[in-house]
Amino acid sequence: MTDTRKFNPAAWQPEIEMVRFDFPNGLVLFVLPDKRLPILSLQVHYRVGSRHELPGITGISHLFEHMMFRGTETLGPEEFSRILQAKGGEINAFTTKDHTSYFENLPGEHLELGLSLEADRLKNLKLDDETFQPERQVVISERKLRSVDSPFGLVLEELYTAAYTQHPYQWPVIGWNQDLQRMTLEDCRKYYREHYHPGNLTIVISGDADPQAARDLVEKYFGDIPPPGLPPAAPVLEPPQRGERRVIFKKVSQLESLFAGFHIVGLDHQDIYPLNLLSLIMSGGKSSRFYQEFVRPGKAVEVSVEIAPPPWAAQDPDLLVIAAIAAPGRPLAELEKEVWAAVDRLLADGVTPEELARAQKLMRAQGARSLAHNFFRGLLVGLFHMKTGDAGRVNRLLASFEAVTADDILRVARQYLREDNRTVVVLKPVSPEESRALGELA
Amino acid sequence: MTNYIPDIYQSSLPNAMTLVGMEYDRVPWVSLTFLARRGAETDPPGKAGAADWAAEFLTLGTARRNQLELATDIESRGAALKARGGFDAVMVSLEGLAEDFPQLMATLAEIVQTPAFPEDEFPLLKERRRADLVHLLDEPREMANIRFLKLFFGDSPYGHPAQGDLQSAAALELNDLQEFYRREFAPQTASLVVVGMVEAAQVEDEAARNFGAWAGGGPPSLPYVSAPDKLCTPGIYLWDRPELTQSEIRLGHLGVPRSHPDFFALKLVNYILGGGGFSSRLMTRIRSDLGLTYGIRSQFHFRRAPGPFVVSTFTPAAHTAQVVKEITEVMTEVSRAGVAPQELAEAQSYHVGHFPLGLETPQGLARQLLAMDLYELGRGYLKKYCDEIRTITQETAARAAQVHLRPQSLVILVMGPASQCAAGLRELGPVTVIEES
Repeated sequence: MTDTRKFNPAAWQPEIEMVRFDFPNGLVLFVLPDKRLPILSLQVHYRVGSRHELPGITGISHLFEHMMFRGTETLGPEEFSRILQAKGGEINAFTTKDHTSYFENLPGEHLELGLSLEADRLKNLKLDDETFQPERQVVISERKLRSVDSPFGLVLEELYTAAYTQHPYQWPVIGWNQDLQRMTLEDCRKYYREHYHPGNLTIVISGDADPQAARDLVEKYFGDIPPPGLPPAAPVLEPPQRGERRVIFKKVSQLESLFAGFHIVGLDHQDIYPLNLLSLIMSGGKSSRFYQEFVRPGKAVEVSVEIAPPPWAAQDPDLLVIAAIAAPGRPLAELEKEVWAAVDRLLADGVTPEELARAQKLMRAQGARSLAHNFFRGLLVGLFHMKTGDAGRVNRLLASFEAVTADDILRVARQYLREDNRTVVVLKPVSPEESRALGELA
Repeated sequence: MTNYIPDIYQSSLPNAMTLVGMEYDRVPWVSLTFLARRGAETDPPGKAGAADWAAEFLTLGTARRNQLELATDIESRGAALKARGGFDAVMVSLEGLAEDFPQLMATLAEIVQTPAFPEDEFPLLKERRRADLVHLLDEPREMANIRFLKLFFGDSPYGHPAQGDLQSAAALELNDLQEFYRREFAPQTASLVVVGMVEAAQVEDEAARNFGAWAGGGPPSLPYVSAPDKLCTPGIYLWDRPELTQSEIRLGHLGVPRSHPDFFALKLVNYILGGGGFSSRLMTRIRSDLGLTYGIRSQFHFRRAPGPFVVSTFTPAAHTAQVVKEITEVMTEVSRAGVAPQELAEAQSYHVGHFPLGLETPQGLARQLLAMDLYELGRGYLKKYCDEIRTITQETAARAAQVHLRPQSLVILVMGPASQCAAGLRELGPVTVIEES
């Protein structure tokens, strides 16, 4: 029963060991060796997301993610998943505003199989109408699930569309329904040629792998793929917002709610750290300000400050969203007034040292927790590299949070939580009959 | 092959409460869970939610501290407290940095052993829960799940949502929560599960010190283990929701308890039928071949008493009848003809290969220990798991499929716009129109 190991958790250092390899064709590989368990996470990140789309083909990045599972010259539809699942793998992919990521969490002994199949679908993807047409229908069903029939999916789409006038973050990753309906197979082929190549590719192998052996395997399967040498797209800048925008959106709903977006910064900007701590102070946990003021006494179902933490924050300036869902029978206008009053108190008085310390400790704890997982370790490295070009930030993450002062939080609150920088979408509940009279939801 | 499985330590505290744990050295984390082996199945008639609300109420104040003081202390350590009641058990978990282990253990003991049941918190809890339940009405998938269980199990112990419903929320009183706690929080039916960067000896000392003298309540309810006498008549049931663009579809029948000897065979059969994502027949047919849904899965809910077997999916409303028909056909194929040798081999290699992925994090390990303790799977369960999977033969799988999949006895719930799906469904058989509850 007695164990002779001595743990010293307070002395633990959250450093991720990483070995980087740069290939002549532009591919970048990170290996994060960790042999505690005979498993690893193989991640293939392409620098292509909804930001690279144009009106008319919105949603193509995500639709294309689906097509990557639909077979190659030698594999049938979904055979990619079936082969790797049969080895114990968890196979999936996700598309964001900035990138498309494919991953296989699997026993380390099957790394070569995973790499060979990833290279096969990069080189030999089969794109034909037989697989494209049903997959388009699948994505249309997914859009109905995530956006149309979900309580707030369309409301959040309205928020981004109103808040962005020029930047491609204005359309949803899943795309507009009419674009999904009219997209063609040729659009997909063109997109594949432009974006799926080694110069746009970062591979991360996190877990039971030897760096040099992993490098040799990547060389074996990806080394001969030529880079097309396309120039990077010019950056798009969203002009500063010059006054509040308000939108009303009516749909069948039990509750009134509002979503207020404030333009903030992208991942590359240091303000992302105080902004994240600010969101924890306002609504992280049951001791937070918003929980105590609104949720605990039953005034609201939820009042939260939502911001993606590094490195999940978007590459370009995204929105910090304050969501407020009124409790049944409580008028939203009253709740909104009280929420802005709470924000005003923050802007006037700042935060206390205890609130800051609590938020920093929460970040440290969340960091420790996520580092137990090969998958998250890999994502941390891969996403920082893809969006900032500096994977080393992962090992400075906690220090970046710990360096934040109460003054920093007050400064970012005053800089970004301004009325002129705010877009508000109000969800007004209507009956099914009124909803039908307003036209089709899409 | 299984030398990566951490050793399990287990002991009985002086009050007969069980302590189970594992040491974990990858990150400085510790996960502590108090498990009471009775849950929402003991909710009295009309009082759905009693167990789950009681669990939350424990976190709203102790003899020594109020809600805000507790939350501030816990969150200032970066830790997280969760308390919820499900079927078969209530769990109160506290996890955080291992450097805070003694304080976390003491706080968990305080919450479990000395709840104050503050009267002024009850109306607030009630209002919050009611608001959450109203909000849930806008979640089609959740509503379909809840409605299906209610339709299928009726008034039997697994027929209500663990979190309660709007009717029970109006009826629940503080003493219902206190009564659940007084009855079911008893050391002889409770366990403490600890996984983290803390030595076993220290965990045993702290557990004995913090929990060993706890007398608790009791006697606990007798365990609920049998199937209900009466279940819903098979057939098609339609809940008209004109505002939806897709139909939510649930098809199911009674499953088997966790203790059933066919557990491993059914795990594999279900993987092949609809649990194995893109390796499953349902996903292949309904999504990959026909493009009729984004997702479909089947699941046996293994509990102490027989839980439901359910197939869940959604589809643009016009395709509803076609999807119901296709699912029934796929189930019939598996039930009649069993599974192919390659399918079985792949299902087995999936489960064996995937096994270590479930042991990667303290939470993953704690989940395993909790299931082992709750369903009395034995201390050697993890070491024997892969062998149990490998020993399933073609014949065993075929027999399990034949006995436990009953496509001719399905209760089929469709929640969607009747104007677009009712006519098609009537071609499949009589349709009973039902209301929200």
